[in-house]
Amino acid sequence: MELSLNEQQQMLRESVRSFMQRRAPKGTIVALQRSETGYQPEMWSTIAELGWLGLLIPAEYGGGGASLTDAAVLYEELGRGPLPGPFFSSGVMSALTILEAGTEEQRRRILPEIAGGRQVFTVAITEPARSWGAQGVAIAPERRGDRYRLNGAKLFVADAVAATHLIVAVRSGSGLDAISLIVVDKQAKGVSVRNLPGFMGWQAEVKFDDVEVPASAILGGRENQGWAALERAMERAIPVLCAYQVGSCQAVFDMSVEYSQTREQFGVPIGRFQRVQDHIIRLVNHLDAARWTTYEALWKLDCGHPAAASVHMAKAVTAEAHMEACNAAHEVHAGIGSSHEYGLTPHTQLSRTLFNYLGDPKWHKRRMANALAW
Amino acid sequence: MDFEVTYTEEQQRFREEVRAWFAANVPPGITRTPSSLEDSLQNYWQRRELGRKLGERGWLFPMAPKEYGGGGLDVDHAIILEEEIDQFDLSLPPFYNSGGMLGAPSILVWGSEEQKKAFLPPIYRGEVRTWQLLSEPGAGSDLAGVKMRAIRQGDEYVLNGQKVFIGSANGTDWMWTLAVTDPNGERHKNLSWFMIDANLPGITLQPMDLLGSGEGGGESGHKNTIFFEDVRVPAFCLIGGENNGWKVASTHLELEHGGGGRIGRNRLWDRLLSYCRETRRDGQPLTADQDVRDLLADIYIKGEVGRLFGLRNFWLTYANQPKSYEGPQLSLYRKTAGLWMTSAILEAVGQAALTTDPTWGSDDGFLENQQRNGIVAMHPGGTADIQKISMARRIGIGRATREAAGKVA
Repeated sequence: MELSLNEQQQMLRESVRSFMQRRAPKGTIVALQRSETGYQPEMWSTIAELGWLGLLIPAEYGGGGASLTDAAVLYEELGRGPLPGPFFSSGVMSALTILEAGTEEQRRRILPEIAGGRQVFTVAITEPARSWGAQGVAIAPERRGDRYRLNGAKLFVADAVAATHLIVAVRSGSGLDAISLIVVDKQAKGVSVRNLPGFMGWQAEVKFDDVEVPASAILGGRENQGWAALERAMERAIPVLCAYQVGSCQAVFDMSVEYSQTREQFGVPIGRFQRVQDHIIRLVNHLDAARWTTYEALWKLDCGHPAAASVHMAKAVTAEAHMEACNAAHEVHAGIGSSHEYGLTPHTQLSRTLFNYLGDPKWHKRRMANALAW
Repeated sequence: MDFEVTYTEEQQRFREEVRAWFAANVPPGITRTPSSLEDSLQNYWQRRELGRKLGERGWLFPMAPKEYGGGGLDVDHAIILEEEIDQFDLSLPPFYNSGGMLGAPSILVWGSEEQKKAFLPPIYRGEVRTWQLLSEPGAGSDLAGVKMRAIRQGDEYVLNGQKVFIGSANGTDWMWTLAVTDPNGERHKNLSWFMIDANLPGITLQPMDLLGSGEGGGESGHKNTIFFEDVRVPAFCLIGGENNGWKVASTHLELEHGGGGRIGRNRLWDRLLSYCRETRRDGQPLTADQDVRDLLADIYIKGEVGRLFGLRNFWLTYANQPKSYEGPQLSLYRKTAGLWMTSAILEAVGQAALTTDPTWGSDDGFLENQQRNGIVAMHPGGTADIQKISMARRIGIGRATREAAGKVA
């Protein structure tokens, strides 16, 4: 048993932490909130050069061949910012989807582009008024010779404005899981993307209006193979996303403890009041629940143990923990916490944006129960 | 990271040896719920006898130092012993004995060499059972406010006072306690820590009538009031120096607040899931009802998070990692989750959770037992609120300096 990070992971953590301090301090994070894409192109290139975009991609496809726990170390530090941008959408979710679903030719063609940051991918699954399950995919493309024609809309597509390519889940048969994954170039005629306004970050509506895609764009080269591959990719991607949220919870905790020591009311630091202490204790309990369920799921995946139930649990626990941690931090910070300049609100908005993303807590708990064969 | 222990061949052979020994030496029916007071006493002695046999082999307290009667084994061997005895629904030690778990480590940290040689071997070899005597009618959460006096007279201390919520059923051999040795001293610097022979004249015991001591409850559900009337205790029994008792107490309080961590199965969960699979409502198993499944998912997750906190604390302790708020966090989590579970289980299972009736209730009334104990477990070892105060000080909420965790080794 060994619950600390190995030496290499500790080094990675240190270098990401120092990168974040130099390149993404609070002012930068706050400024990025108002950008359309969520990232600065120069920072994107640097991160690609550092090998962090392709960390999970096997070396034969131009990546770092790292373990999921290694990737989690990176994403936990990015989450402390929280650094926005299509890092997870492209470097984890899409990379793993292509790895699971793509033909050898597709992997060799696409994965090095993702690792190098030259192409930016995201996965489009949900549709208006539909769930995150296979039953939620209704767009059915028409097959015309060696081309597909797409019509319809995808909703809550993460980082679609920043993306150059979309992996679109489409219905290609009548069975529940008869889903195919099609790569769509965002430049293709008839694709339109817009960020959804409001209390969410970089989630978009994507519309397809008679979009023509070559049949060769289907991942795996055959229809109806997409859902199983997407499930395998999600099982591996979700705990990395959870680690990003753990980092965000950790930052919110550190911020709240510091504020409890420095903010004075009634002549004493507010942390001397037990009511204020209660908020921070609630926060740290959620943080640690998220941290340990997440890292145990990552460990199971990395050593090849059955991990489905642990992954569903980590997602449910972490989504709830992130929201509750931010709620507690707002109770500690009161007025100043709602000032965009202070730096708490990017975490809060993230906790809401990711709450339902890739399935909400209740959905994952039910799938956990199924995985445990109750 | 590695969340499980990987064993060497030598350790696997040790497991075989342990398994064979347990199969030959654990008496059938030892985990039964006693049917009467007489049966409870008989079961207690059965457990003590097993403890003595384990103690002879150094398996009762496997990680305690060999020179004082412990097993001197490393953590991997200790885990093997825990895992194997867990197969019988037992833990080490197999009877309620806070002396071994909490009192002995305090003596190891604070006692003199002579005291360690005198007190530790009988505990580690399973020859004595020991209770802790901390709470008083006027000192619960404010433990440092105890009033029991221990006034020095020659080579002895004379103890007078009253302790409440003590021990279990079936008596004890030794007791350890905190008492005021300097009535005019400053708070926290006026107390001393004693290990006492329970058979000294002037000690009387009176069972309490409590929510936790229901028919379905195990031995530890029973608690007592203990009166001390001019009890003469040899000065040798004072551990860690006169008026230094609060520091000595910090060791067992840290351990009792979850600082040592925990590994092992969640027996309540295993039984609850079987119960829900086997029990039908409106013609279908409880596990087929979506509302019940949702409640079970939340109950399972609480158990898993508690398991992970326990595993983390266990690792922090045995890998000698720095600790802060993690001990009281585990304690707080288990207490609040346990209380929450009483309502979740009642909602999932219905009124059957409230009865020990052999026909209409759960096996051995284990669910009824949880309904009581989920409430009762909120106070021993410090209330949930006390755990929060400990956590706040160690995290440094509102404070420039962070309070250190208690010294456990």
